[in-house]
Amino acid sequence: MSAVEVIGASKIFNQGKTQQVDALVDVNLTVDQGEFVSLIGPSGCGKSTLLRLIANLLEPTGGSLMVNNKTVSQARLDQDYGMAFQQAGLFDWRTVSKNIELPLELKGWDKEKRSARAAEMLELVKLPEFADLYPWQLSGGMQQRIAIARALAAHPPLLLMDEPFGALDEMTREYMQGELLRICGETATTVVFVTHSIPEAVYLSNRVVVMSPRPGRITSVIDVDLGAKRNEDTRAADGFFRNITAVREALRGTQADHASANAIRGLEDR
Amino acid sequence: MKFARRAAYRTAMFVVSIFSVVAIWELYKIIGPQDGGKFFGVSVLPRANNTAMPHISTMLSRYSRPEVRGSDKKIWVVVLSGAWFSLRLSLVGFFLGTTIGVGLAILMARFKIVQRGLLPYLVMSQTVPLIALAPLVVSWGGKLEIGSFVWPRWLSASILGTFLAFFPIAVGTLRGLSSAPAAAVELMESYAASWKQTLFKLRFPAAVPFMVPAFKLGASGAVVGVVVAEISTGLKGGIGRLIIEYAREATGDPAKVFTAVFGAAALGLIMAGFVAISDVFFMRNRPKESSI
Repeated sequence: MSAVEVIGASKIFNQGKTQQVDALVDVNLTVDQGEFVSLIGPSGCGKSTLLRLIANLLEPTGGSLMVNNKTVSQARLDQDYGMAFQQAGLFDWRTVSKNIELPLELKGWDKEKRSARAAEMLELVKLPEFADLYPWQLSGGMQQRIAIARALAAHPPLLLMDEPFGALDEMTREYMQGELLRICGETATTVVFVTHSIPEAVYLSNRVVVMSPRPGRITSVIDVDLGAKRNEDTRAADGFFRNITAVREALRGTQADHASANAIRGLEDR
Repeated sequence: MKFARRAAYRTAMFVVSIFSVVAIWELYKIIGPQDGGKFFGVSVLPRANNTAMPHISTMLSRYSRPEVRGSDKKIWVVVLSGAWFSLRLSLVGFFLGTTIGVGLAILMARFKIVQRGLLPYLVMSQTVPLIALAPLVVSWGGKLEIGSFVWPRWLSASILGTFLAFFPIAVGTLRGLSSAPAAAVELMESYAASWKQTLFKLRFPAAVPFMVPAFKLGASGAVVGVVVAEISTGLKGGIGRLIIEYAREATGDPAKVFTAVFGAAALGLIMAGFVAISDVFFMRNRPKESSI
């Protein structure tokens, strides 16, 4: 069973109008259980749109999407996935643990079960002593860790992340990447991860999906052969740079396509 | 500790500001022209004499003297009971205004079409002069028959308070409800949260910093509405009635009207104070810079 299945999905904004934008055209992607897949590409390549289609926050114009062999709308209703954004987006008026409890509250869990789970999640992200503080009393990196704890609170099998570390400084960012791998390893969570950063994509992923704009589509998929166990030494390994180069070259291809983007689109339409 | 120091600082600033107003008033009485300053026949400076501008001390000491000569009722008792009467009417007006204002804001936030259709009328409603509206409300109220319910006269004054209170509350709450960040709304959507859940767990908490100043305006608006309604409908017992009664005696007893005016001002402050206390309560755990 695959965690995510995208079959011929398209998303066209303002269809038929002069401002028509082909955000995604005929995208096919399968993500296996426990896999970590990154979506990378220049701005406007539709990587965030694809993530929002999987999350059922947007309706596709064509094609179909499945999460855990369910329709995406059913998966959203069942809270089969957790989500994290670039802004941690914690609620200022809730304590850290109440923030983590939010999805559980919406699911109708009772109070004891909720606070037990929140405590468990705080252990997981290694911030147990911050339970009763408010989010604005925490650093950006800590806030983002709480956001991940919140996304995973209901133990969803799938985690969707939209540039979650984009607003963090480089040092915090690398630390968070390590933490994310550890957490996902411990919880066996499948991740679809949108990023701008090539080293980030390579360090985290089993596969890197390279996308290109106008119209948004997948141009290549690169298998990262760094093995399952990754740590700080991985960043200095030869294989790391080889994979980075591979992704970079695939991305260069997308840049060169800019001029001929319309020609390609013409072909694909037929 | 920090909180106590800030409270002390604020109280000190309040006292200083009151004393500076007193000082400016008394200073003008010394240097201002006794019969007003005229410039090419147009009077531009107010008269500084004791009839137009009584000494602050005269006004304050007036509180301890009887309301009318020969009566044993001290004027502070009369002003206080008038203020209490008007305060109750204002509270009724404020609560009705809050209910209507917040209700309208929820409707407008829920249905964009309601917002587009209703908002212009709300703005327009505030251009109707209160004085013109007051007698109408009284006569409509008099004609109203709902079972055995009899429309009391004071309710008309409260309704006019409501009329001034609901508008800032509706507009401020609507802005607040729409202020929730798009990412937070998307997050709630990703949890498949219902509109009601989003309203109570996200939109209302996010709206508090916008609602507090709106409620302050609404609270003082309710007082203004009630006082004006008392004056224009001649309702007895409140501070508005005292103001016109005492104003008639301005030549013989100029300090008297000020006792009632201060009473009305204190009412507005008390009402806004209620809201300020609730602000401290609701915002106690928020980042300090987000409170307006």
